[in-house]
Amino acid sequence: MLWTQQPSYMLVVIEDSDEDFDTVVEAVKRSEVTTKVRRAISGEAELEILRELATDRAVLVLMDLNTPGTDGREALAVLKTDPALNSIPVVVFSTSANPKDVWLCYAAGANAYHVKPVRYPDHLQLVIDLVGYWFGRVTLNTVGTTNL
Amino acid sequence: MSQEDKVTPQPWDGQPYSVKRHGVTLTNCDSEPVQTPGCVQAHGAMLVLRPADLTILQASENTDRLLGHPAESLLNKPVRAAIGLDGEATLKAFFATEPTDHNPLYVFTLPAQGDVPPLDVTAHTIDGVAVVEFEATGRTKAGEPDYYALVKKTVARLQTARTLQEFCDLTAADFRTLTGLDRVMIYKFHADGHGEVVAESKRDDLDPWLGLHYPAEDIPQPAREVFKKVWIRPTPDVAGALAEMVPLTNPQSGRPLTMTFCALRGVSVMYTEYLKNMKVTAGLTLPIRQGNDLWGLIAGHHYAGPKFVPYQVRAACEFLAQVVSLQYQAAEEREHLVYRLKLDGTHQQLVAKAAQNGLAILTDGQPNLLDGMAAGGAALYHLNRWWRVGNTPNETELEGLGEWLNDRPEFTSLTSPHYVTDSLARDYPPAAAFGDVASGLLAVPLSRTNRNLMLWFRPETMRTVNWGGNPHDKPTVPGPNGPRLTPRRSFELFQESVRGRSVPWLTVELDSAVRLRMLIMELVVSRSERLADLNADLTRSNEELDAFAYVASHDLKEPLRGIHKYAHQLLEDAAGKDGEHRKKVEGLMRLTVRMDSLLDSLLHFSRVGRAVLQTEDTDLNEVVNESIEMVDARRAEGSMEIAVPRPLPHARCDRVRCREIFVNLLSNALKYNDQPQKRVEVGFIAPDEDHPRPGCPDGSADLTIYYVRDNGIGIAARYFEQVFKMFKRLHGRDEYGGGTGAGLTIVQKLVERHHGHVWLDSTLGVGSTFYFTLSSREGA
Repeated sequence: MLWTQQPSYMLVVIEDSDEDFDTVVEAVKRSEVTTKVRRAISGEAELEILRELATDRAVLVLMDLNTPGTDGREALAVLKTDPALNSIPVVVFSTSANPKDVWLCYAAGANAYHVKPVRYPDHLQLVIDLVGYWFGRVTLNTVGTTNL
Repeated sequence: MSQEDKVTPQPWDGQPYSVKRHGVTLTNCDSEPVQTPGCVQAHGAMLVLRPADLTILQASENTDRLLGHPAESLLNKPVRAAIGLDGEATLKAFFATEPTDHNPLYVFTLPAQGDVPPLDVTAHTIDGVAVVEFEATGRTKAGEPDYYALVKKTVARLQTARTLQEFCDLTAADFRTLTGLDRVMIYKFHADGHGEVVAESKRDDLDPWLGLHYPAEDIPQPAREVFKKVWIRPTPDVAGALAEMVPLTNPQSGRPLTMTFCALRGVSVMYTEYLKNMKVTAGLTLPIRQGNDLWGLIAGHHYAGPKFVPYQVRAACEFLAQVVSLQYQAAEEREHLVYRLKLDGTHQQLVAKAAQNGLAILTDGQPNLLDGMAAGGAALYHLNRWWRVGNTPNETELEGLGEWLNDRPEFTSLTSPHYVTDSLARDYPPAAAFGDVASGLLAVPLSRTNRNLMLWFRPETMRTVNWGGNPHDKPTVPGPNGPRLTPRRSFELFQESVRGRSVPWLTVELDSAVRLRMLIMELVVSRSERLADLNADLTRSNEELDAFAYVASHDLKEPLRGIHKYAHQLLEDAAGKDGEHRKKVEGLMRLTVRMDSLLDSLLHFSRVGRAVLQTEDTDLNEVVNESIEMVDARRAEGSMEIAVPRPLPHARCDRVRCREIFVNLLSNALKYNDQPQKRVEVGFIAPDEDHPRPGCPDGSADLTIYYVRDNGIGIAARYFEQVFKMFKRLHGRDEYGGGTGAGLTIVQKLVERHHGHVWLDSTLGVGSTFYFTLSSREGA
């Protein structure tokens, strides 16, 4: 699924729940950022997408930890140990508040960890804030390793 | 026999022994050569032949009277010189065909000659010579009773005897019928060698000897040895003369004749004196054997002059003695069978009970260790303490006894470790102090490592032993060669009390105790195996449960968020619609939020169960202060006060989890409190402190107990257990600030993770106190 607004940003969402993905889309819509959104429903699909993407774009990965197949934790580990991909920031989005999960993700190189709120308004606002921060405030890498 | 006897030269040294010549010179019965007396009883005659050609080598000096030829005239003559050609032919054929060695058998009857009655001729071979004995047949004109029928009847009756006593009574009675003797006794040897009359059949006018005991010396050791070889010992005429062998030794070998198997064997003077002292005029004795041991004797006495029991009758008696010997064990087993069955039945019930409730139950309730065994008391050492039933020594005495027992070599036996005694004080002198309850002891070890024991006690039995005469009275008279022991003269009743002894333990009881030990050990082994299995199962299922709760909660949250979202959107769409519709959707959203917090609690709980504790020495004051700060932030309105009256001690615990315990208890204390002035106290009770500990579980009283006390709404006693249940709330969902109802469950889990206990004491409307410990006695 592609969302075309301004080509310079790309949000890759790994999410198997349609409702949660809709929330992300809705949040992006309400935010002041224009970005393409691509969805993968598994870790493998995510990695495929990322490898396809031209690396001269600012990419942010929003990752749900519990996805079918290669689960978020594994995908995170692969991504962060792949020299071609490890400059891409990964924001983990999870139902789990377990400190062990939090620790695991940061240790594997996650750039942020968020617990999904159950209240829709909270959930929506969290994603709006997040997109605004990462695409509005943070300076993202736009140089692909191949270009260095 | 003492060493002295062996080195002192015997009076007949240097010449062959003849009881007729040397019998009265003996100093001690135990040194008498009873098997080579050199004489026969003079009512019969004897010839010793060379087997090859039946030449007469020796003859008893009385052949003249019985066979019509003086002994000297028969020597070196063929045997026909004494018994005629026919006799010689019969004898020759007999030796050629019969198994005669050490086995006297009837050969033929020598017809009457003049005033000599018909003589029964018996013969056997021994040590390379043939021994031929001649005795009056004793037949009467009235004809012979049917001995075969008599014996057959007795054997049949013995097989049906229900008790040993009945068996012995029958034996005595039938032997008297068979022999016509005045008295027949069953004489039993006790372990120390002394004898007791256990059954008796007698002429009515005679004094009963039943129950009398006789010292071991009454039946000297050499006589006992003979009874292990022969089945009968006739002494038909106690006052009768002895006839010496001519010559006294075998002229070829120079050796005295071994008369062990001879019916005519010359009787020891000591023995005849002994019998005479008892006014016995004739005797007939047969052994009762158990395997290779002499169990006792069938002793027949006659008082009315000589009593010749003919060969035929003696043969029947011999046969009967053998049957009695064989049947005795069967009779004993029959008698013990009932007891054995009862014991084993009780023990099996005990083991079944112990399998359910543990070994301690063995001394408690019905049945217990005392219900099988005939004992006065029983004790069990198990789980580092004594369990007692009935009359036993006290615990201090048991401690000492247990220590002593555990070092007994008997306990190291692999097959049957046990210690048994009927006079404990003899082996273990301190037992004299409690001889009244424990003179008898049967002990089996249950475990070598834990020093566990199972004991049965028997009280002292003030036994009165009726001796036939004073057994301590050993009269000696000076003889030509020094002091000589004489047979007892006094057979007056002599009573003696036996102290420090119990009724002896039966083999049945011993076997059963050892079997019970096996059963218990199997039980212990299978119990520990089962416990290990259960523990493994429990650990596995706990882990699975935690993992399940964790995964389930996560997976449940996903759709929950979706439901909330749709509800939210519905609410936005319904903005303009009626209030009723809005309310329902709002309700839906509220439920999803509540479900979410329940799932969070469940998740948290499962994490508490799985997380590894980081125990360290912790200052609980710091922990409580942090907790108060955390609770403070959540405080509702109203005045409140959290007091710590005295500094808390340090404890080994996981600081973070411990804080969670206090936070949960403190927030509950404040939450369930409708007082205008809420007061909470955090404190502890030191192990040695004199302080009430309401509701304190076993084993926690000697540990440091922490508590959180409030002046809140209180909890009814019937809910004391329930408050710790997951999601159990005692109040409406939104009363007292709501909550998921997992707080105390998590507290309990956290305390348990520290191997502690949590409990409460509370009065409705007054307040509650939650107590907890942070370690168990083992882990302290």
